[in-house]
Amino acid sequence: MNVKIEANPAFAYLDIELAPGETIVSEADAMATMSSELDMTAKFNGGFFQGISRKLLGGESMFVNHFTNNTSKSLKLTLTQATPGDMECKVLNNETYCLEGGAYVASEPGIKLGLRWAGFGSFIAREGLFKLIVKGTGKVYFGAYGGIVEREVKGEYIVDSGHLVGYEKDMQLKPKLSNGIIGSITSGEGFVTKVTGNGKIYLQTRNLSGLASWVNRHL
Amino acid sequence: MENTIQSATTNQLDVKFQMRPGATAAEITLKPGQKLTAEGGAMIAKSMAIQMTTSTQQKKSGGIIKGLKRLVSGENFFLNHYVAPAEGGKLWLGATHIGDMEQKELHGENLIIQGGSFVACTENVSIDASWQGFKNLVSKESLFWVKASGHGTVIFNSFGAIYKLEVDGEHIVDTGHIVAFEETLAFTLTKAGKSWVSSVLGGEGLVCKFKGKGIVWVQSHNSSSFGSTLGPQLKPR
Amino acid sequence: MEAIHTTEGFDFKFDCKPDYGFLTVKIPNGKKIKVEAAAMASMDTNLEMKTKFKGGFKRFLSGESLFINEFTAKNGNAEIQIAPAAPGDIDHVYLNNQTIYLQNTAFVASGDEVQVDTKWQGFTKGFFSGENFFLIKCSGKGDLWFNSYGGIIPIDIDGDYVVDTGHIVAFTEDLTYTINRIGGYKSLFFSGEGLVCNFKGKGRVWIQTRKINPFVSWVHPFRPKKNNN
Repeated sequence: MNVKIEANPAFAYLDIELAPGETIVSEADAMATMSSELDMTAKFNGGFFQGISRKLLGGESMFVNHFTNNTSKSLKLTLTQATPGDMECKVLNNETYCLEGGAYVASEPGIKLGLRWAGFGSFIAREGLFKLIVKGTGKVYFGAYGGIVEREVKGEYIVDSGHLVGYEKDMQLKPKLSNGIIGSITSGEGFVTKVTGNGKIYLQTRNLSGLASWVNRHL
Repeated sequence: MENTIQSATTNQLDVKFQMRPGATAAEITLKPGQKLTAEGGAMIAKSMAIQMTTSTQQKKSGGIIKGLKRLVSGENFFLNHYVAPAEGGKLWLGATHIGDMEQKELHGENLIIQGGSFVACTENVSIDASWQGFKNLVSKESLFWVKASGHGTVIFNSFGAIYKLEVDGEHIVDTGHIVAFEETLAFTLTKAGKSWVSSVLGGEGLVCKFKGKGIVWVQSHNSSSFGSTLGPQLKPR
Repeated sequence: MEAIHTTEGFDFKFDCKPDYGFLTVKIPNGKKIKVEAAAMASMDTNLEMKTKFKGGFKRFLSGESLFINEFTAKNGNAEIQIAPAAPGDIDHVYLNNQTIYLQNTAFVASGDEVQVDTKWQGFTKGFFSGENFFLIKCSGKGDLWFNSYGGIIPIDIDGDYVVDTGHIVAFTEDLTYTINRIGGYKSLFFSGEGLVCNFKGKGRVWIQTRKINPFVSWVHPFRPKKNNN
């Protein structure tokens, strides 16, 4: 499988060449163009119950698409995401990794999608009760609204809600008010997330609610 | 980042695309007396001495009917015509959406452009709304397409980056991703998956299947998908 | 990623230019910077935040206000990362007792000693331009970071130049300008170009490659329907 991230960071999309017999799994509605000889099948990811719970609890799509090359020559496919922005590839070796909701784009067949309890604090900060996890062996492609920057965390770090894209499974996330109750409202920062642990996090350089409030100022 | 195209014939435009592909602007250097027709609202900046007039039609053809047809194709009813002064001048053009621009030299062939993507053309290119049959009704995009024909330069824009897909045989393109295609290609609407059930559950629904030999300009992103993602967070209308 | 710049002011770097410009500033212990409200994306835990309000109550009511958060490094150096709301570019100038005018949503951040104020454009200029055309006046000495919708292109003007009002990001104070219509009367109503800014003099104007109004019109059908009860 040959996968290239093109046009990043403005409008990243995946340019994919599948060799005979290969399969790539993607988020629903991600296909932009494909060879007419590729087979596309919608499936529950990780089985029926996982699919349902992803939809109901994690706010993700219930189905994923499997694109399979059943011919004897290599075939092309391009996959995209709903928002403009960057994409990254994460290689997992029998590991688990955490992604923010909506960030998943595509993966090799050895990767399973799942959910993890995020805690009531996360719910109060309107980040949802569950977090999306990816686990297994293979490559995962995830995307963001805006560019993606890496940040090394040692100890603790503050991230504005809506800018976190991916983080290590051992990291602790705690929502907190940015500056007391009044300060958090007037400052426009509201809830922020305190990340505790050591390792790399991925941040997106824009967030959709920021875009929405910018547009709303002009309505 | 920059893409300079040197003109060989007098009718070709000197266009430099800046800020590709995120929010491309066309930096156009007009030769003395050179004329350009652009979509209403596309101008960013210009030299003071470039003259602009507004009409419903191109200088030589059409009239109000053409203006009306352009309106239903998602373009503006009015077109702006720019004429460079004796010393020439500079004109900057932008687009509604963030995204890229492309230019194509026409030598008598026809180019079909999605409604809303036409930016500008030189004097001897004519643009007209083009009805692509009932399949337009099913596409979420616009009802009409714009047909550019004649001789000269045409500039069009996209939501997202633009990549060229050279079709020889058959290829599938999602309806929201077509920017333009050569008229040598035909397309039909079909299902993306092996079965209709799979196509609907997988969120792909209907897609376009291009047949023949020619180029399709594809946009990396789908503006409707983006609108549906952003919309719920906006103030009610 | 672009390298850290060392200037007379703060050390900083830009990422993801020109599409999603993102600013990282190093704040030495005890120093502070001004940041547009809600633009902080991430920061060290030893930064202290205070909210300031520019423009006064009257301006607040007319929408010409500016909330600014001040971040001060306590007990050591700290880093802050700043993300503007609009998709687009970010740029920097070091003001050396100069004045630059910014379009009303273009302010991102500045050094503590830069004076940031709103400036009403007067009835004629502001009202007829069709844009919410109050300006932010930045003067004094220090770093100034500003952002755009789309890419930022600097144009050096010597003589005169025409810029659509919706495409102006910033300009230096040595330029004078008038708001005019373009073309004939038909063009005023139908060209889609609205009114333009005629700049005169010798100075620099920063333009943006997109403007907000067409995007706002496009997004209209995707907005939720109002609930009438």
